[in-house]
Order: sequence, then C-alpha cells, then structure tokens
Amino acid sequence: MTPAAEVTDVRRRYGRTQALDGATFEIGTGVTGLLGPNGAGKTTLLRILATVAAPDSGAVSVFGRDPAVSGDRLEIRRRLGYLPQDPGFQRGFSVFEFIDYIAILKEMTSRQERHAEVRRVIDAVDLASVSGKRVRALSGGMKRRTALAAALLGDPKFLVLDEPTAGLDPEQRLRFRELVSDAGEGRAVLLSTHQTEDVAALCQDVVVLDQGRVLFHGSPAELTSVADGRVWFAAERSAAAELVWRGADGRFRHLGSPPAGADVVEPTLEDGYLLLVGRVDEEAAA
Amino acid sequence: MTWHVPEPLVAAYVDGAVQGARAASIEAHILACADCRARVNSAVSVDRLTSIWSSVLDDAENPRQSWAEWLLTRAGVPEADARLVAAAPSLHLSWLASLAAVLLFAAWASNTSDRGAALFLILAPVIPVLAVAGAYGPRIDPTYEVSVASPYPTLRLVLLRSASVVAASGALALAASALVPDGEIAAAWLLPSLALITLTLLLTRWLALPVAAFGVAAAYAVPLLAITLDHGGVSTALTSAALQWSAAAVVVVALALLTADPHMRAAMRRNP
Repeated sequence: MTPAAEVTDVRRRYGRTQALDGATFEIGTGVTGLLGPNGAGKTTLLRILATVAAPDSGAVSVFGRDPAVSGDRLEIRRRLGYLPQDPGFQRGFSVFEFIDYIAILKEMTSRQERHAEVRRVIDAVDLASVSGKRVRALSGGMKRRTALAAALLGDPKFLVLDEPTAGLDPEQRLRFRELVSDAGEGRAVLLSTHQTEDVAALCQDVVVLDQGRVLFHGSPAELTSVADGRVWFAAERSAAAELVWRGADGRFRHLGSPPAGADVVEPTLEDGYLLLVGRVDEEAAA
Repeated sequence: MTWHVPEPLVAAYVDGAVQGARAASIEAHILACADCRARVNSAVSVDRLTSIWSSVLDDAENPRQSWAEWLLTRAGVPEADARLVAAAPSLHLSWLASLAAVLLFAAWASNTSDRGAALFLILAPVIPVLAVAGAYGPRIDPTYEVSVASPYPTLRLVLLRSASVVAASGALALAASALVPDGEIAAAWLLPSLALITLTLLLTRWLALPVAAFGVAAAYAVPLLAITLDHGGVSTALTSAALQWSAAAVVVVALALLTADPHMRAAMRRNP
C-alpha cells in the first residue's frame, strides 16, 4: 500500500538555521503525532507537507504525488486540510463568513452545498452558538476551533495540524481528541504537539523530531518502553538520574539509570520522550 | 368551513407557482384548516423544504454583509467571488482611509505651488498600486498560509482582488482630482497609474504581489520625489505629451503580455 505521505532525506535551511537536516519517514492512515522540542523543525516539516513551503533538497510525496509538480500539487491540495501554527483571520469576518471564505478557496462553488458543509464543520467543533460572532472577538480556544473547522472542510484525506491543542482547556482537548480520532478513521492525520498526553491518548504512530532529524519513529508503546526500568521514586533527590522533579506526593520522580534497590515504576510516554530527547542533548554536549 | 383548497391548486402552490393575493388566501386558509394544511404538508417535496430551510438559516446566520460584498453583489459579481474580494486587507476602511488622507494632502498641495502640483502627480498614480500591494500576499493577508494550501488558483485571487482595490482606490483618486483646479494636472495621473498597475500585475509572474507593487511604486515615486525636493517641480515633464504617450505604450504592451499568458487567461475566466 502506498503511504499517505512520505519524506526522504528532506533538508531545509532558513538563513543560518538548518531547520530540517535529512528527515526521512513515512506515515499511513490513522493519527500520527509529531513530537519534538521547540526549533526541532516540526513546523517546517508540516509546512512542506502542506505544500506551503518547498524543501531545499530531498523528496516529498503525498498520496504518491510530488508537491513540486504543479498538477500533482493541485491534486494534493484538493485532499488536504491544513491548520497552520498561527492561523490568522480576516478582520470583520464572522465565524461563518470566515469558514465560508475558506470553503470557496476549497473550490466549493454551489452556495447551498457550501453553506451546508460550513454548518457541518461548525457543528463538529461545537461553535454553532457563536457562528455569527466576529472571529477576532472570540477567545483563543474558540479561534483555534474556528481554524480547525476550516481545516475539516470537504472531508480531507490528509489533515496537517500544527499544534492544534495549544490554548485549549482540558474539556476542549477531550472534545478535540474525539474529533481527530474520528477524522483518523480511513484518513491520514499528522499533528504536531507539545502535549505527550495527546499523543498517548490519540496517536497510533509517533515521530520524534530533533534538530531537523527523525530521532524516533514507532508506536506510542515503543516510545514509552524507552523508559522501561528507568523511572523510579525516592524520598531524596538522587545524582544518578538525568532528570528529577518532585511529584504531588512529595517524593522525587527520577528518570535515568536507577541505583540498586530503587522503587522502579511503570513509565509514561512522557518519560520515554524526555529520556530520548535528553540523551541527544548529552551526546551533543559530549 | 365550506371552501377547501382544490387539489390542482395545492400542487401549484407547493411548486411555488401561485403568487400574491391567491397565495396569501391559501396561506390564511391553511392556517385555520387542519385538513388542507395536512394536504399541503404532504405535497411539499423534501428538496424544496430543505432548500427553504437552508435559505432561512442563511439569513439567520449570515445577516450582515460587508459594504464591499454588498456593492460587489449589487454590481453582478457572483457571491463567491465577492466574498474572496471582501477578504482583501486593502479593501478595509482603515486602509482606504489612509490612502484617502494621502490623496487629500496631495490635492491640497497641488494648489500651492509647482512643487505641490508635482507632488500630486507623483502620489496619485501610486495610490492604486499601494492598494494592490495590500490585496494579497505573505504578511499582508492573515490567512495567506491557508489560501496557499488550498486548490484555488492564486493568480485568479490576485486578479479579482487587484481589480476591486484598483476600482475602490481609483475612485478615491478621481474624487481627489476634482479638488485640483488645473484640469491638465487633475487628469495627468491616470495613464501613469494604469501603466504602474499593469506593470505590477506583469511582475507577479516572478514576484509576490506586495513585492511587485511596492517595487513598482518605489521605482516610480522615489526618484521623482528626490528630483522635486532638490530642483523643484517636475509637473511639466509629468503632464508632457511624451510622458503620457510612453505611459499609454507601457499599458498596451503590458496588457498584451498579460493576455498572451495562458495562466493569466485561465485566471480571468468567470469560472476557474
């Protein structure tokens, strides 16, 4: 089966920053989470997959089509829903008008069908009660949901979401997970996030990006197992750990190689991610 | 009740073929008569109900239209195109107001001296070009990223919005010209302005719209302003027949090149 999206040895430089430095991976249908520290190249990668930016070198393919070829690019765009990291809104447009505007850009010409589709996505993100309000007057979470609704227009087969859960409260995040897991049925969803809980709750596949390279690609369980036997609790801070913080019960949670007799516990996905990214920093420092 | 809506009239009514007083009397009757109401109800097709309901929803949810959308749809522009145009940042009142302020200043200056007249002749043609710069582009349009990732042809968006902002800002410049007493000066900016606009559109083949527009505007206005400030007015040169003919030649050549481009021709079609 052809993968939904594939990048091979992709490089992209912005000024003096090498944003992507030979990233290679492929994703299929379902929800893939893209994790990585700030500046790891997540947004650059998503912009390239959304056909907004082009790589300096390397190959990109979405549904077997090459975004560098204009006919292919159009076919990709017809199947794409894109939520940029910092979505903007036209001054003066209401939620309905804004989404309707994006629907026109998505080639929905019949007014009646278009409006029905606009209403469908507004309902999907639970914004029907404010659909006549100006987007600029809404709260941060509502603005994000407005932009997400626009990305869902036309039932795209490939959804590219750049930090979709930023600024959402816990209840909205839950609602968002429902939405995205529905969208992941038979479609490909690629989302970047800083929330390891989102990935643990939602993704079948995780890519960890650091310094423009793919550091890890596997299932959430595999990422969690990076920390197997390397998380323990102790009453006192231990120098043996790479990362230590005091938990809610007052004891210290340690990540790293445990000393003998340590109270080793089940790791979380966050533990695995922190150990993975932390180890790279060590290597870079050495 | 002695009279009931006869069957053929029910059929005509649900098709929307009964108008005015007859429709009103049927409506008055079915409000009172449950029997006829049921007959009319069952005769209305689901499609028609859905379409009525969706137009009710449209009116309820989408009540206001910006002045630009309203004007454009009145002028016969399809509603989808009108919405694409209304999203142009430089059609916003704040943008147009600042352009109008520059024009008013230039029109006032043109009465004061030869330098002032030159100032008007340099600024007025640039105003519509500045409006074009604010019509679409990175860092100009807040939804630029999303619009690039959409299948809609960018060139068509550029043309639709450019045409509209040129019309709006051109109208402002014409209004400002009315304040200029010297008829020759009041009219002399038009051809240079058209030349600058067509040049800008030609350059969008290689450059982003704001880059092309600011570049063209600066290339025209900056040297002329420098000369005017240094040596005095250049209004004689700017109103000269030679300059007007050159501007006309630029317009003709640029338009010919634009319409020869198949992408441009495709973008100018009513339905892309």
